[in-house]
Amino acid sequence: MRSPAATTALRPFITDKLFLGLSLRDYLRSLATPGSLTAIGILAIGIPVIIYRFVYGLGAATNLTQANPWGIWIGIDVLSGVALAAGGYTLATTVYIFGMRDYHSVVRPALLTGFLGYFFVVVGLLVDLGRPWNLPVPMLFSFGTTSVMFEVAWCVALYTLVLFLEFSPALFEWLGLEKWRERAMKLLLPATILGVILSTLHQSSLGALFLMVPTKLHPLWYSPFIPIFFFISSIIAGLSMVIVESNLAHKYFPSRIEPGHAGDLDRITLGLSRAASVVLFAYFFLKLQGLADAGAWHLIGTAYGAWYLVEMLGFVLAPCLLFAWAARTSNPTLARWTAALTVAGIVVNRLNVSVIAMNWNAPEVYVPSVMEIITTLTIITMGILVYRFIVNRMPILRLLPQYPDTH
Amino acid sequence: MPHDILTLYSSKALEYGIAISFLVLFIPFWRFVMKPAPAPAAARVAERPRVPVAEAVEWFQFARDVGFHPGHAWARFGQGALATVGMDDFARQLVGSQASLELPPPGTTLVQGEPAWSLRNGDRQVAMLSPVDGVVTEVNPAVGSTVGSLGGDPFGTGWLMQVEVRRPAANERTLLSGDAARAWLQTTTDALRMRIAPDMGLVMQDGGTLVDGLARAIDEDNWDAVAREFLRS
Amino acid sequence: MKLTRRTFFKVTGAAGAASVASAAAARPAGAAGVAATPGADMRAMLIDTTKCIGCRACEAACSEANALPEPTQAGDTAVFDRRRPTSVQALTVVNKYPATTTAPERYIKTQCMHCVEPACASACLARAIEKTPAGPVVYHGDRCLGCRYCLVSCPFDVPKFDYDSNAPFVHKCTFCGERQAKGLEPACSSVCPTGAITFGTRAALIEEARQRIYAPDSQYVRHVYGEREAGGTSFLYISDRPLEQLGLPGHVPAYAYSALTQGALGAVPFIMTLWPPLLMGLYTFSQRRNAAAHGDHHAGDAPRHEEDRHA
Repeated sequence: MRSPAATTALRPFITDKLFLGLSLRDYLRSLATPGSLTAIGILAIGIPVIIYRFVYGLGAATNLTQANPWGIWIGIDVLSGVALAAGGYTLATTVYIFGMRDYHSVVRPALLTGFLGYFFVVVGLLVDLGRPWNLPVPMLFSFGTTSVMFEVAWCVALYTLVLFLEFSPALFEWLGLEKWRERAMKLLLPATILGVILSTLHQSSLGALFLMVPTKLHPLWYSPFIPIFFFISSIIAGLSMVIVESNLAHKYFPSRIEPGHAGDLDRITLGLSRAASVVLFAYFFLKLQGLADAGAWHLIGTAYGAWYLVEMLGFVLAPCLLFAWAARTSNPTLARWTAALTVAGIVVNRLNVSVIAMNWNAPEVYVPSVMEIITTLTIITMGILVYRFIVNRMPILRLLPQYPDTH
Repeated sequence: MPHDILTLYSSKALEYGIAISFLVLFIPFWRFVMKPAPAPAAARVAERPRVPVAEAVEWFQFARDVGFHPGHAWARFGQGALATVGMDDFARQLVGSQASLELPPPGTTLVQGEPAWSLRNGDRQVAMLSPVDGVVTEVNPAVGSTVGSLGGDPFGTGWLMQVEVRRPAANERTLLSGDAARAWLQTTTDALRMRIAPDMGLVMQDGGTLVDGLARAIDEDNWDAVAREFLRS
Repeated sequence: MKLTRRTFFKVTGAAGAASVASAAAARPAGAAGVAATPGADMRAMLIDTTKCIGCRACEAACSEANALPEPTQAGDTAVFDRRRPTSVQALTVVNKYPATTTAPERYIKTQCMHCVEPACASACLARAIEKTPAGPVVYHGDRCLGCRYCLVSCPFDVPKFDYDSNAPFVHKCTFCGERQAKGLEPACSSVCPTGAITFGTRAALIEEARQRIYAPDSQYVRHVYGEREAGGTSFLYISDRPLEQLGLPGHVPAYAYSALTQGALGAVPFIMTLWPPLLMGLYTFSQRRNAAAHGDHHAGDAPRHEEDRHA
């Protein structure tokens, strides 16, 4: 039996907090947009596919083989997902550690994207793991301390918690839990520092996973420096993703934007572009060092070499110069498109390392199955839906009047 | 791994070569990326139109829509990072229309509270302090080499330059505006009045305009010291 | 001997490798002359391909010992028409490599190499694959997450993942650890009719292999495959054809694979120790700078620059 007081408290929660102040019927009607229907369509196909994969095994759903045990679920969902969720630590460091307060309006969106990114990386990982129910084993019972994968598992798990903590003030503001919010705000600085540590470790360790394949990964991509490459490129990915995500948010959630902040976005976009172009510049030269170290110049002339040049010139050097040009000429539109190109470049790099240049000298070629692609799309769609749900409700893109100095 | 001792020498030399090339290229690249750009044309046009506000503190024009620096420079912030900067009517009348105006060229970095442009009369010159931090992107082409060329609208057509401001919000907070600015200008005017002895005939007979070039009128030989006192430079 | 190069943070890796080497040296010496052999006392196998006749008795014995289905096409020589990898249901497999103009026809048995320092074991995050002191590299299915990093890491492509199961395990040769514990020989070597498989300690078998390949009228290629590959394996091969021609991977580095990641893993505690003071220092600096900027805005102490982000 529910007491009358509880029911009266519950109804405002449901209508005000969950249905945006609408009645159930109006709320459902407000959801009937082309975007929502596409998303529902993808989920309607994708969720049964994921169930199918768990019932019949990885072989039935994927094109993975003994020679190619890792496919796009690792290359896109996990490796690219983690890199693109790096905006959380990048922006939190910029604002909370370096004290660049003028970037504060993009920190919460970046932390939310980071948290959702990691959450859905874990979801993707659970789908990819053969025996996901054994996940507690390395966490609690049997520590494979010599394994890079062990370090990655721990860091990703802890960092997901840290991101939740960093994001939780918005959640508590939404729920009106004043005391909890204050506690969470006090933890912001230590959480940020812990986040930087964990991110440094696992962003680089995702690259270090591939230290174990000196004979299998193409020499143009294999390098003892690969952990450094992964870490530096995660900064680039984080900055670009914040540009892409904040601009999309301003386009698709204009009503959620703080009135005074609309003009700030171009300035922030250009500032992030400056940072990204400088990091890309350094990254390009670091990659050259990797090439010199591998002594792989003679391979540039091969088909893999041509593809390597596409990555290096088209997805590293070109964005570097375009970002620089955009910042120099105050062209936020160019900066936005360059950010999208850079994001694509990060995905290309992660796929190159984990799939395309992997087992390059083996006869078998891996092409993802339709079900693998659908599953990846489904996970991305779930991420976008949860993002939309939260942005429409919690103070992410704008501050609540009662918490003016939140950031 | 891929190198033995014989190829290692040249490989290592190449790596150092790449690193040194990076260092050399990094300097111009950094300067290219970090130098603030000229403001977008759209923003520049949007800055200009302004409805003149007829308001005055005693003898001096006053504007509500600008932020005043205590050194009698003002800044008006619009959308984005661009600000319009000028000198106020007090400063204009203090130095007089025949004083020559030396504005910094576009690309000059300004620092709030540091000398930004100078006013010269004879062999003496006085600096005015910048109200903002930023880089000059444009100098008002309508303003010539003398203070007199500002015309009668120092807060409008008599603006001096456009500045790309690094931190508009932070700069704006530190400037005086609205009633606070009015009160400050009143205080300053009172201070000026104290310097004007009634017998000096600074106020013209025809109803209260001041003579052109107050500072010279107060102290002909040391006008620059008087101006510096009010302009805080 | 090629000189290996170390990156700056691989210094710790080198130190790690050195400590492993010294630990190996501290173990009791095996046969005379190979005192510093890693894993000298571990159980090992020597496979002499010149003696193998392709009877596949080892395959049958392996299936029986591991309760697996009978080998495909038992007794049918047509099975050699195509190259078969090991699989979930065939932990050891014999393949035929036809004669060339310069080299005779050869059969070769493949299975897990049971590395002295296995890449798969060092890669496993749950210690589901472990190296036992006696020699066998063993798999504990109850700990396995099915991440397949062992498949990725293994330079010999040995571990096989059961893609057709919804609760899959990794399958590979066990070196008949249970039989060895009872004092028995592994199934395959116990049934070999020609003496192509010899079972013994690693040091003794390396010595035996050397005696054969350096014998006066020896036709052998002077290379004991597995003596140094991936830091040394428990399964050693000799042949009169280069073993790269018989399907074993060439260019496997001579160092233990665990050394590849020790540098990166060695950096972990350093980052955990150095980042907090560094970041707190930056934080204090930025706090002070911002306080100065907001407190007194007169004459010159306003922040001049703030472009030092992420440089």
